[in-house]
Amino acid sequence: MDQLILASEECDVVNEVICAPADVKELFEFTDVIFSIGPLGFTRTIILFFLAAFVVVGLLYFGLRKQRMVPSKFGVVIESLLDFVKNGIAKDIIGPEGARYVPYLTAIFLFILVGNLFEVTPLINFPITSRMAIPAFLAIVTYVIFVFIGFGKNKFRFLLDTVWPKHVPIGLRWLVGLIELVSIFLLRPFTLAVRLFANMVAGHLMLTLLLGSGVIFLSAFPEIGLKALVGIPWFALGLGIYLFEIVVSVLQAYIFTLLSAVYIQSSVHFEH
Amino acid sequence: MQFLIATILYQEEGESSSNVSLVLPETAELIAGIIAFAIVFFFVWKWALPTLNKTLETRQQAVSGELAGAEKAKVEAESLLSDYKAQLADAKSEGNRILEDARVTAEQMKTDLLAKAEGEADNIRSKARDDASAEKSRALSDARTQVGDISVELAGKIVGEELDADAHQALIDRYLGDLETL
Amino acid sequence: MEGNIEVLKGAIALIGYGLAAVGPGVGIGIVVGNAITAMARQPEMAGTIRTTMFLGIAFTEALALIGFVLFFIA
Repeated sequence: MDQLILASEECDVVNEVICAPADVKELFEFTDVIFSIGPLGFTRTIILFFLAAFVVVGLLYFGLRKQRMVPSKFGVVIESLLDFVKNGIAKDIIGPEGARYVPYLTAIFLFILVGNLFEVTPLINFPITSRMAIPAFLAIVTYVIFVFIGFGKNKFRFLLDTVWPKHVPIGLRWLVGLIELVSIFLLRPFTLAVRLFANMVAGHLMLTLLLGSGVIFLSAFPEIGLKALVGIPWFALGLGIYLFEIVVSVLQAYIFTLLSAVYIQSSVHFEH
Repeated sequence: MQFLIATILYQEEGESSSNVSLVLPETAELIAGIIAFAIVFFFVWKWALPTLNKTLETRQQAVSGELAGAEKAKVEAESLLSDYKAQLADAKSEGNRILEDARVTAEQMKTDLLAKAEGEADNIRSKARDDASAEKSRALSDARTQVGDISVELAGKIVGEELDADAHQALIDRYLGDLETL
Repeated sequence: MEGNIEVLKGAIALIGYGLAAVGPGVGIGIVVGNAITAMARQPEMAGTIRTTMFLGIAFTEALALIGFVLFFIA
């Protein structure tokens, strides 16, 4: 909502056909401190971070609170979500050792899922994962976990076999080694973070741009007359993207968790 | 030319601080994100998953307990059924036995009755025969006496003298005995 | 003068991102297409293939993501 108000002040409905924000940052950075605890000033973004955390906690709490023989419909949804992460991701990809990583995978899946779905939640309309802090932090945690396990399970063979892969012909070995080294230790965490971040930024941009333009043009009908009809295709397209973004939100949460599991698996069963 | 490059560089510096911040995590947000994620992680780790496991375990136990109960009930029912069957078979054989007994008894009774009836009939017959023979012998002895008397009387009349009935009775008896043997 | 350079820089960054997106676009198409072929041929392996497909997409996508970041940095 904030973004809409911001944009409507700047939008030149007479000359333009779409309301593009002058500065993309306006859509993502809320610098107004609403209240502060100690040194930490709570901007809207930070409040949403905690809101996401409490939504996850609340969903789990109300889904699992009562230990009933026959769970409620809501309980079934929560239980099947947890079961999906446990069996569909952890056990399927990592194998029997995956049980150790179920808490982490479940936590990132639910946190990212709720954070992503904030994008399409009315009145919130802001994916917290489009702030680099969340994806970067989670990617770093995954990175630390899989590097730590890699070195813990394989000692220095983890690094050595990566840069000097014995199954590759000797002529290409240094090249493959270099690519593997860069891929594992640099690109993995980077792409893991940026994939989520970029998807959410792009989704949020499209939604605000299209829905915002649609609403602004249609509401400017008294001033610009028939030109306000420009808002209709924008709004319709925005609604289409809105549905699409729901899918993207779930998919990106799944992919982030899946790739975390795959990276952990590659360290648990390190074979070269 | 140098001015142009300098302007570009200047522009770059001025510009780069503006949009780069979008792709770099902000310190305050990073801290908040870490805390928020920690809340989720510890809640999932310490409460949600153990609770879910416990629920699933109790559910499993309840189901298996119910299954065991059902199994027990089934076994019980089966034993009950076999009991009933045995009892039924017992009752049937008992019935058969009783029937057999009854039949045997009836048979026996019949034979008894028949034997009794026959015996009675025999009795009656023999009694009748005895009676008849007694009657006959009585009639015979009567007849003998009368014949004797009559003969004596007749002889007396014929002879004209009174015959001593007692003295000649023996003679008459012998005569009649001879007559009987004829 | 200054405004022109701004616009020019934005345009170059856009072109750069567009170029960076071409390769990964083709690559992801190939990855997904082959994954679908494989799934159609062996539906019982669909789970494994899907995982591998996402992994392949993740690797292929890296270049586009770098381009995306560079677009903001430039």
